[in-house]
Amino acid sequence: MRLSGLQKEVLSLYRNCLRECRKKPEASRKNFQVFARTEFEKNIKIDKRDFGAIEFLLRKGRRQLDMYASPGVKDIK
Amino acid sequence: MAALRSSASRLLGAAASRPALRAAVTPAAVRGMATVTDGQQQHQAASGEKTNLKTFQIYRWNPDTPTEKPRMQSYTLDLNKTGPMVLDALIRIKNELDPTLTFRRSCREGICGSCAMNINGTNTLACLCRIPAESNADMKIYPLPHTFVVKDLVPDLTQFYKQYKSIKPYLQRDTPAEDGKEYRQTKADRKKLDGLYECILCACCSTSCPSYWWNSEEYLGPAILLQSYRWLVDSRDERTAERKDALNNSMSLYRCHTILNCTRTCPKGLNPGLAIAEIKKSMAF
Amino acid sequence: MASIARSSLLRQVASARPAFQQSAIRAAAFHTTARRQLLPPLPLNDAAPVPPTSPSHGSYHWTLDRLVAASLIPLTVAPFAAGSLNPTLDAVLCATILIHSHTGFQNIIVDYVPKKRMPGVRKLFIWGLNAATAVVGLALYEFETTDVGITETIKRVWTA
Repeated sequence: MRLSGLQKEVLSLYRNCLRECRKKPEASRKNFQVFARTEFEKNIKIDKRDFGAIEFLLRKGRRQLDMYASPGVKDIK
Repeated sequence: MAALRSSASRLLGAAASRPALRAAVTPAAVRGMATVTDGQQQHQAASGEKTNLKTFQIYRWNPDTPTEKPRMQSYTLDLNKTGPMVLDALIRIKNELDPTLTFRRSCREGICGSCAMNINGTNTLACLCRIPAESNADMKIYPLPHTFVVKDLVPDLTQFYKQYKSIKPYLQRDTPAEDGKEYRQTKADRKKLDGLYECILCACCSTSCPSYWWNSEEYLGPAILLQSYRWLVDSRDERTAERKDALNNSMSLYRCHTILNCTRTCPKGLNPGLAIAEIKKSMAF
Repeated sequence: MASIARSSLLRQVASARPAFQQSAIRAAAFHTTARRQLLPPLPLNDAAPVPPTSPSHGSYHWTLDRLVAASLIPLTVAPFAAGSLNPTLDAVLCATILIHSHTGFQNIIVDYVPKKRMPGVRKLFIWGLNAATAVVGLALYEFETTDVGITETIKRVWTA
């Protein structure tokens, strides 16, 4: 299946999230992965042509990733 | 277009006749300082049960429902019961009509720069923008143009602040003060900072600049360049050469094409256009 | 917890020193609070990157732009004011117009074709502009050397 540029960006954001999860301590790693997945699943129903919404969510996701990727964040509920 | 050109020439004339950075700008919307008496008169008028209705169309967008398109919502207020400024109206709408309306505000006297928004097509501070009482036309209020919207009238100014940080907006010195206490400055040197230090970083000018709209990642924009100039002309700063080097590339400074929207819109009556021209001039040879 | 450990540590250090310094150190330990970073600074607060210095794209480019633009005014007026046609002056005028339009178009491309978002298109446009300038330069050279020259042409078109 060929993906549009926006879809690729979403996937790369998800991949980045999982990559950052791996840097977290072993005990809480699962929590981070679950959190990232639920964040993405919340908006899974959005139409793929709704560019404005997807771009906004991408920006928001990147900000969240920046925030949670900082080494001070050890666990997430 | 014609209006823009004529006002640009007027600005140039004003700037040429007076070396000071403040140019005589008469913006489209009537702006002035809020006074106590205004409010009192309004309240006295309110007792004589005359209503003076005004409709405000306000941009609404909620990040919790990103699939919904942004929309304009109308609110009608009785001006006789409202303060004279747009911010008063917004606060009243939030208090009485719709608590979900979101906007930034803090000082309500034009010194914090929080309530910058696009009112009737002009970027200005809501607290310094008078509600035009003479016309019955609706007022249209948008967030600052070409910014990512956080919610309703709240723009995302992250990039703006990052750029501000990148120009190192603080005194950089290597030599200690002569008397070991403070860095002294002649009156003439201090005078150069007038018209620069008053900037409150409300981002009205930067977001009105077409060059900044297209290249906001790399072009610094009028507000940041005004601040750059403020540190360049400061006689106490010793890193002038480094500061100039940081601006000396195709994007940071030279994407300014002297459109002068910045000077037209500045709610504090400053002249970023002239400051940028001064930087260019000082770097030319 | 940490502060208790620190003060006892300080006391150990201080006990090894003369008495008059001891009191000074104790006072210092009493007054200064250690910088403790509760959370590392957020990456959101990083300054925007400063591009590398390149005067040839910055100040020199701008100065050249202004000089060329300013020199165009006398160059355009001169042949008509003098009333005589000078091939050298004509050639200079051609060259100046060429440089002026080249830098002008360059500015437009830099403005509207961002390098970050579309580097390929940017390269294409810049090389297209270079090619166009070269072609126009060649054409003007041919026109000047084999035909009547630009000033004479404008004169003829004007009166025609």
